[in-house]
Amino acid sequence: MSTTSSAAKPVDAQPAGRRPKAPAWATGLLTGSRGPALGLLAMCVVFSVVTPYFLTQNNLLNIVDQAVILGLLALGMTAVIITGGIDLSVGAVLALATMVLGWLSHDQGWPLLPSALAAIVVAGICGLANGLGVTFTRLPPFIATLAMMSIARGLANVITDGQQIVGYPEWFDNLSTTRYLGVFTVVTFVLVVLYAAGWAYMRYRTGGRELYAIGGSAEVARLAGISVRKRTVLVYTVTGVLVGLAGVFLAMRLDSSQPSAGTGYELDAIAAVVIGGASLSGGVGSVTGTLFGVLIIGVLHNGLNLLGVSPFVQQIVIGVVIALAVMVDALRRRDPR
Amino acid sequence: MKSPFRRMATAAVAVLTLALGATACGGETAGTTTADGKPVTIGLSVANLQADFFNQIKKSVEAEGKKQGVKVVVADARGDAATQVNQIQDFISRQVSAIIYIPAGATAAGVPVKAAARANIPVITVDRNPSDAPGKSFIATDSVAAAKTLGEWAIEQKDGKGQLAVLQGQLGTTPQVDRQKGFGQALAGAPGVKVVSQQSADWAQDKAYSVAQDMLQAHPGIDIFWGQADAMALGAAQAVKSVDHKKRLILGFDGDFAGIKAVRNGTIDATMVQQTQKMGRLSVTTALDVINGKKVPATQLQPAFLLTKNDTAKADQYIKNHP
Repeated sequence: MSTTSSAAKPVDAQPAGRRPKAPAWATGLLTGSRGPALGLLAMCVVFSVVTPYFLTQNNLLNIVDQAVILGLLALGMTAVIITGGIDLSVGAVLALATMVLGWLSHDQGWPLLPSALAAIVVAGICGLANGLGVTFTRLPPFIATLAMMSIARGLANVITDGQQIVGYPEWFDNLSTTRYLGVFTVVTFVLVVLYAAGWAYMRYRTGGRELYAIGGSAEVARLAGISVRKRTVLVYTVTGVLVGLAGVFLAMRLDSSQPSAGTGYELDAIAAVVIGGASLSGGVGSVTGTLFGVLIIGVLHNGLNLLGVSPFVQQIVIGVVIALAVMVDALRRRDPR
Repeated sequence: MKSPFRRMATAAVAVLTLALGATACGGETAGTTTADGKPVTIGLSVANLQADFFNQIKKSVEAEGKKQGVKVVVADARGDAATQVNQIQDFISRQVSAIIYIPAGATAAGVPVKAAARANIPVITVDRNPSDAPGKSFIATDSVAAAKTLGEWAIEQKDGKGQLAVLQGQLGTTPQVDRQKGFGQALAGAPGVKVVSQQSADWAQDKAYSVAQDMLQAHPGIDIFWGQADAMALGAAQAVKSVDHKKRLILGFDGDFAGIKAVRNGTIDATMVQQTQKMGRLSVTTALDVINGKKVPATQLQPAFLLTKNDTAKADQYIKNHP
């Protein structure tokens, strides 16, 4: 399968014919992510059978609530990985953003909204620095973002000298707990909107298609007239902004800000993206795939907890599922069509 | 070309196998029931099972659960407050009868307690207690008193004179703050003992090793090291060995197995042994009391026992049968 020949066409499209025609938007929604979608479905069926607590409205809503933070990190990570990069700094930048929010609103007496905005801007600047590091100083993304991971974690601790900040106003916490229409909290609604926007952008906008081309081969993309540097910087910056938003949401969810927050989240985000069918070598991946990847991880944790599986065994199961998911996907992709 | 159905089937079988395997591991045990006939299940949410202290409590809770005939389900937050909130939500979905909550994070988060309260599930807190939403009953070691005892013993050993270096736990955590406070109370009565250096090593042995090395570089005259946990005392002992082998008084705290063994063979000089087994048992019986509508005390602080390198018999007994 060619993933680089054209930037303007869906690179992961299924062959036409012999299949009943579905509406274009529906096929587009699932393109490249049927494997993860089926995996998720299978997992849900199994958990519904083995535990009576799984398939309840409350539990399903919980899973969505629980997926928000990882979902935001993984959304940015999807674009980064599609361009052939990686962002190891998301967990640390998340902590920095949540600490900036806490410090400004509690220690500096700022109102909450400007504090939240500042937190998102700070995270965006971290992303921008990642992007500039990757493009202009030619650091490998692994190194540039590894450095940022350390810097952001340090800053998160420095601003309050390692102290945690506890207690936000009730209306702020309620944004992540009060459900409207019985389903969406403000936070989950924002997540859904962002995923829809991300999906549409990556699939239908030239800018989004160009990211696939860059991931396929940055040199070819450059020769084809794509401004690789500009696109790359943009991708890392947007990822930073999404991470900043996640930092604000985390503060709502925990009713506190901790400098140790988000430790190891970068690996969860990468796992979600890869389970969702993306390739770490770039050029392949999709927003819907990532969404399923995030939900697979969420459902797995949730289901195993509901079953009361020992935490040590849970770690083993999760590792096996990650390996299996990617293995199945790799075999599928090797299929000559 | 493989059919999509075959792929789907493969995926489904894989997941099924895993999940069934998982169920087998978490097999149900029948036992005690609540007043309305539901079997009692207690959810134990642990801050971090990588720390032996918490792992000991977990084992004790499981053992006591077995004895009382209640099912215990365990979740490990691996030090992450957000993960812990998720896990407690899962306990609530699972409709456990009570939750034993050992908070992760510097200051205990009140969010899980509030969420459980909305679902009418009682929460017993262990080791740390959220100030904005305390548990029905709080079980912990009286750290202030214990650290004071330890400090007084050290001062006595040094005849009230010496240079002290402190390897602190993660700053701002309740145990760190309380231990610091108790030790400080002892130091207040001994103006001859000076704190020449103190720094956080985040409860970790390897970090304590390098921090202690650096401290010895700056202050070769240090003659007392206090690690606010045994792991950090062990790190300090290792650092002393690597730097100059001079005899220094090394103190720990916690009395986990590694710590007790280290005291037994003289690697560290003293520690305070926390009653992890008792706290685990107590948390289960307290949870059962709450489920059965009995009144429980709001706080149940437990004493810790001083163990010094001279108490070999006591150390042997603790290793065989941890309090």
